[in-house]
Amino acid sequence: MERKPVLEVRNLDISRGNESVVRDANFTIYSGEYVGIIGPNGGGKTTLLLGILGSLKPDRGSIQILGQEQDKFRQWEKVAYVSQNAVNFDSSFPMTVREMVSLGRVGSLNLGRKLSPADWKAVDEHIQLLGLEELAEKRIGQLSGGQKQRVFVAKAMVRNPEILFLDEPIAGVDPETQEAFYKKLSDLNVAKGVTIIIVSHDLAAVFCRMSKVLCVSRDVHVSEIGEDFEPTEILRKAYGEHFHFVYHKHECKGDFHD
Amino acid sequence: MIDLLAIFGYKFFQNALLGGIISAAACAWVGLFLILRRESMMGDGVAHTAFGGIAIGLLLGISPLLTALVISVISVLGISYMKKKGLANSDAAIAVIMALGFATGLIIISLAGGFNVELFSYLFGSILTINTWDLVLVTALGLTTLTFLGIFYKELLSMTFDEDAARMTGIPVRAMSVVFNILVAMTIVVSIKVIGIVLVTALMIIPGLAALQLNLSFRKTVGAAITFGTISTFAGLVLSSFYDLATSGVIVFTAAAIFGFVALYRRLA
Repeated sequence: MERKPVLEVRNLDISRGNESVVRDANFTIYSGEYVGIIGPNGGGKTTLLLGILGSLKPDRGSIQILGQEQDKFRQWEKVAYVSQNAVNFDSSFPMTVREMVSLGRVGSLNLGRKLSPADWKAVDEHIQLLGLEELAEKRIGQLSGGQKQRVFVAKAMVRNPEILFLDEPIAGVDPETQEAFYKKLSDLNVAKGVTIIIVSHDLAAVFCRMSKVLCVSRDVHVSEIGEDFEPTEILRKAYGEHFHFVYHKHECKGDFHD
Repeated sequence: MIDLLAIFGYKFFQNALLGGIISAAACAWVGLFLILRRESMMGDGVAHTAFGGIAIGLLLGISPLLTALVISVISVLGISYMKKKGLANSDAAIAVIMALGFATGLIIISLAGGFNVELFSYLFGSILTINTWDLVLVTALGLTTLTFLGIFYKELLSMTFDEDAARMTGIPVRAMSVVFNILVAMTIVVSIKVIGIVLVTALMIIPGLAALQLNLSFRKTVGAAITFGTISTFAGLVLSSFYDLATSGVIVFTAAAIFGFVALYRRLA
């Protein structure tokens, strides 16, 4: 079956101030892929994401989202984004889980309009999908780190996007919660066929669960993660010659990507 | 008690009550967003620049509230511009514009050789002198603000929580920010007669802060803030009339007492 490209990046350069942060990026992401973006701190992962999403203007190159040039792209309702800072909010912020998820249905298509019964039905379905039913009326500030992540994924998913971008949504949570979170994303990727692109520092989770990896350290190295995937070369290009990471596909636990 | 009931029959008191309640409701809702946007001092800064606008109006012999509105709108746009262009962060931009607005007022007072007591009624509020024209302006601006917030609160909430994510969903974040800042200016002008330039920030911030203590959903928090704001204004108006005290001062004390009570209740409950 022919795979449909949802994101095509060609010869992309992005700078911040006078500093070149992403250089000559070239890659294609296809519908239904589960893609990890890894790389050292300050390597340009978030910059690449913000460039793709139009928050940063590239110096050169082209970005096509769902077949359209990014600067002419208007179907932003098909793209969802969970930012790096999403979970770092003021805990006194006065919103319940249900209210927060409902904000995912607010956008250019219904500016100033009341949410419809269909919107609320979708909100409740996604609350259920992410296992948040019992927390629906709780204030978001009262949730644990893992619960907050699921709320933001529910908020992003409630629009039924074709592509979901997540920027380090699991920083600062315990390994078990991280594992449960990646599992939930895998389930969504399979069940809804949504393309997921996630910035992560968890190399094991990326190599075990995902189908493609972008390793960003100003240059962007791309690799499919198949049975014979060997990460050493790509990691050394990004993290340096002395970087060492042991990875054996057969040691991936549970129902990881295969 | 008879006197207290009789006072509700007077036209000036009815004007004060209606103007005060509309102003308190607008202040509470706008103020809640200011708290959540971490721009609590915006109200104070813009109110002080309105002083320059009031002085211009008095000098030219036109409605001081209208000139205050123009100057306040220019000042909020100036603050936004300075932030956006990286000339100053929020606090510093507010400080610069506030000083500039107040200085404008002082220069105009000196040019005019001083004003009568009317200028001071704008500084400290004079809710009992709200005339029909003031009431029309207060009602028009106040209801415009409340209607806009009622229609677009979801979008404002979305961008208050996470501006990048809101922009991604197609919400026109920049345009909404400009409109919200204009609403802040309008709300301040609406409240100048009620509580005065010096204390307007209290009516904007204290009810929202009290409502946030209750850990409610957003809709209920808005309801609580508006309730606290209107109760403060109503009680302040009645108590100050009864005991012959400065109304704006009593409004602020009532609001602060509600905040104290709610905060205590939360800690004991």
